This record gives sequence, structure tokens and C-alpha cells, in this order.
Amino acid sequence: MSEADVVRAEVETLLALVHARYGSRLDADQLAGVRTAIEGIVQAACALRAVRLSNADEPAQPFAAYRAEP
Amino acid sequence: MAEDVVFLPVRQLAEGIRARRLSPVALAEVFLDRLEHLGPRYNAVVTVTRGRALEQAQRAEGEIAAGRYRGPLHGIPYGAKDLLATSGGIPTTWGAAPFKDRCFDFDATAILKLEAAGAVLCAKLAMVELAGGMGYRQPNAAFTGPGVNPWNREAWSGGSSSGSGSAVAAGLVPFAIGSETWGSILSPAGNCGLAGLRPTYGRVSRHGAMALCWTLDKLGPLALTADDCGLVLEAIAGRDAADPTTVDRAYRYDAGDPAGRRFRFGLLRGITDGCEDAVRENFARSLEVLRGLGTVEEVALPDLPYDDITRTILFAEAASAFEDVIESGAIAGLTAPEDRYTAYARDAILAKDYLKALRLRGVMAREADRVLAPLDALVAPGRATVAAMLGGEVRSAIRGTARDVMGAVGNGAGLPAVAVPNGFGARGLPTSLQFMGRAWEENTILAAARAYQSATDWHRRHPADV
Repeated sequence: MSEADVVRAEVETLLALVHARYGSRLDADQLAGVRTAIEGIVQAACALRAVRLSNADEPAQPFAAYRAEP
Repeated sequence: MAEDVVFLPVRQLAEGIRARRLSPVALAEVFLDRLEHLGPRYNAVVTVTRGRALEQAQRAEGEIAAGRYRGPLHGIPYGAKDLLATSGGIPTTWGAAPFKDRCFDFDATAILKLEAAGAVLCAKLAMVELAGGMGYRQPNAAFTGPGVNPWNREAWSGGSSSGSGSAVAAGLVPFAIGSETWGSILSPAGNCGLAGLRPTYGRVSRHGAMALCWTLDKLGPLALTADDCGLVLEAIAGRDAADPTTVDRAYRYDAGDPAGRRFRFGLLRGITDGCEDAVRENFARSLEVLRGLGTVEEVALPDLPYDDITRTILFAEAASAFEDVIESGAIAGLTAPEDRYTAYARDAILAKDYLKALRLRGVMAREADRVLAPLDALVAPGRATVAAMLGGEVRSAIRGTARDVMGAVGNGAGLPAVAVPNGFGARGLPTSLQFMGRAWEENTILAAARAYQSATDWHRRHPADV
């Protein structure tokens, strides 16, 4: 499978997921709009995945353990 | 009171109030009348808060008469983007039809801080529905109608703080509070020829503000000058236990005269690629002014998918923040047709990709700081185009229909930026110049913007037909 085929398959799979959840609310034009939006999401994901990071690169998202006073 | 107070900067109004040449009550009346009579022309207002405004103005007048002057916002009218919670039966609509009658029983921290500073809340201002988080592609994406630009009423005022932009530009309020997740302060400021300040993430409490994206949302002022933005920021900044992202780092606006200060400006390679001709030409003229204030050097960021990083974070968090609105189908009641379905696609963002974006955000923040460390500010056009026409399509970096490296890096890394007007382009619409600084360097970028405004007069020009 080419890279383009893999991306296309991912779009179809994710579209199927969204269709299963919300398809009853969507007409054909809206579903086409959702497909376009998913294509954008997958393109962005591919760009993110292409960047290599090390195990030490943590999410820039602080989490602090919580304890109510005292 | 004559309407000659309209288009006076906050600093000048404050001098008049302090010297008791201006009455806060009379001032409130002037702006309340303008909000009521001119607000509809620009689709700028959701609610005129006349009762609360007059009560606050009378209190301010009494305190000042008694010698208890609180500071430069005492008695100054303002408007707040309608995503800030307000008590007292004043609706907080988030610009969305499904919430047009919703009221909260508390005030957002920013509203409380402005009240403590003596400012007078005159209006809740229109905004793009749900701050644009559902994927809108057109100006007509609010139950109040599209934000109309006072410079050209066939054009959009920008989003998502559309009413904040048009209200200040039309002289309906001296300043307004907006919010920015990605572009929502700088865009209306640029479109409407105003100063707009996006503070560092964590500088201003978002408690009581609608959440679009928890790790990107910021609140900040739109005003006539960069100086006014500093005055307002000092009033709303500060740690708030109700917003754990705020930091314990005091902010005091340094309004010192930047004359004689030599600034070091940086310019990202290729930053005007894709800009309209007038934007590129006005930016080139701005660089000439900036070279008179210091040095301008070309710098580079490493090649990373900046737009994709910030966009993925925004989409994923917005899908979660509005889970109830999306899954219940309530988005079907939104104004823009595309807002009624686009958000369903966000279920397709995989957790691992969201986390990758958060990991890359750390790299992006470090690289941005490395580039900014020797500089006072990165400079760039505030926007690549002048305002879209009301019937047109909105180009947006958020949706991927335009690139916006400064916006992606600035918002993704939580960096402060201020936009100021720097000329005019097609159809008589303003263009803008932005200064972006290191985290917590609002005073530096405001000093640079003030120096630029001291050397130019774009901020003294106002729409003719207001």
C-alpha cells in the first residue's frame, strides 16, 4: 500500500466512526463537509507523526497532584 | 457632555476624570447612548447594561468627589465580550442562539477586577458563536449577525471578538475585553484599526469565561492605543485561585517613555509570503520606522509543523470542552450552517496524536524562546489580508485555509503579542503590525508598540461615518 493509500484508508475508517456516531443527523452535504474536516485532521496528524521525538520529550502540560488542605 | 470625548484614549479620559473635568455618569451616558443607537448598525452589541453601568458610574463619581480615586480605569466605560459571565440577570450568550437567554449568578474574575478598578461595564459585546470553535467559514456566524466593520460596512470586523473590535473602532466604548485562543484579539484589532493585546497564557484569569480550549484561551484588551492596553492589562492581570493556570507573578504596567530606547527586532524569514500586496507594502514601511527605533534582523525557527501542532490541540480540546453541545445535537441551532456539523469530525482526533501535539508544543515553546531571547520582539504583519467582505469566506489558519506561523507559535507557546494599525489596504480597510515577545514580556512589547505609535499616526485615524 502506498502512503497515500494508507492516509485514504485512515480517513475512511475515521469517517466510518463519525458516521456510526452521528450519521443519523447528517445529510449528504454535511457528511461531505465532515469528510473534508477529517482529511484535514489526518493531514495534520501525519505532519505531527513525521517529527521524531525522544522518550524524554514530555507533553507540555503540567499536572499537579491534588490534596485538599490541610 | 459633548461627544468630543469619543475616540479619546483611556489615558486622556482618565486625566479628565481625575481632574474632575469629566463626570463618570455623563461619560457613561454618552457611551450608553452610542451603544444603543449605533450598536445595531455594527451588530456589535448583545446587551447594553445600562442599569449596572449607571450604578457603577454614580459610585465612581461619588468616590472621586470624596477623594477616593482608584486609578486610571476609575469611571471609564467599557464593554466585555459576551463569553464573560455576568450576574444580575445580564445574559451571557457565548454568541450562540442556543444560549441567548442563559444567565449566570456570578461575575467572571476579569469583570470583578475591572469593577474593583472602578471601570463601568456598559455592554456585553457580540462574538462569533462559541468563539469560532465549531469551524465557521463565514462572517455570519453569530445569532446577532455578522460583525460589521466601522471602516467599511460591507466588511467584517473580524473574529471571534467581533463586537469588541467594532465597538471600540466605532467609538461605542473606549476599550473592550476580548479573548484569544488563536487570533481572536489580533484579528479584530487588525481588521478594525485598533490596538489589541494578547497577554501571556496564565497572566489573566479565565474564571467565568467560556472555555474553548483550556490550554490556549487568553483574555485581553482591545483599545485605541497600545498604552491603553497596558492600563487595562494591569487591572485584569494576576493570580486567581479559581483559575489554576494563572501564575503568581505580579504585573505592573511600565508606561515609561520609550523615547531613546533602542529596540532589537526580529523578523521570521518569509513572514510576508502569502500576504496581500498592501499588507506587504505597509509592513515594509513599518520596518523602515522600526529601523529608526532600533535594529531589525532576520531570524529563523526550525522547520516544525507549527500550525498542525496548535490546530490539533485546539480541535481536540474544543471537542471535549463542548462535548455536551456537540453530542446532544445542540449545535444544530447555531447560525453558520458549517458550525452545525463540522465539530463531529473532531471525534477523529486520536489521543496519541493529541499527545504528540502537546509534546511538540514543548519543543516549539523552547525554540520560540531561544529565538526571542536576544530580541525585544518578533515583528510581523498582524494579518495576511485586510478584513473579509461580509458575504465572503473567511480565511483561517485554524481551519488550515491560511498559514499563520506567528499565530500558531504565539498561541501554542502562550506568548504575548500586541497588534497596532500600520496603514490601509483594499477597500479602505486597515492593516496591522504585530509585536510578539517572550513570555511575561508584555511591558517590552508594549514599549515597542508605543514607540511605533509615537512615530506614526495611524492610531489617530478613525472611521468617518460613526
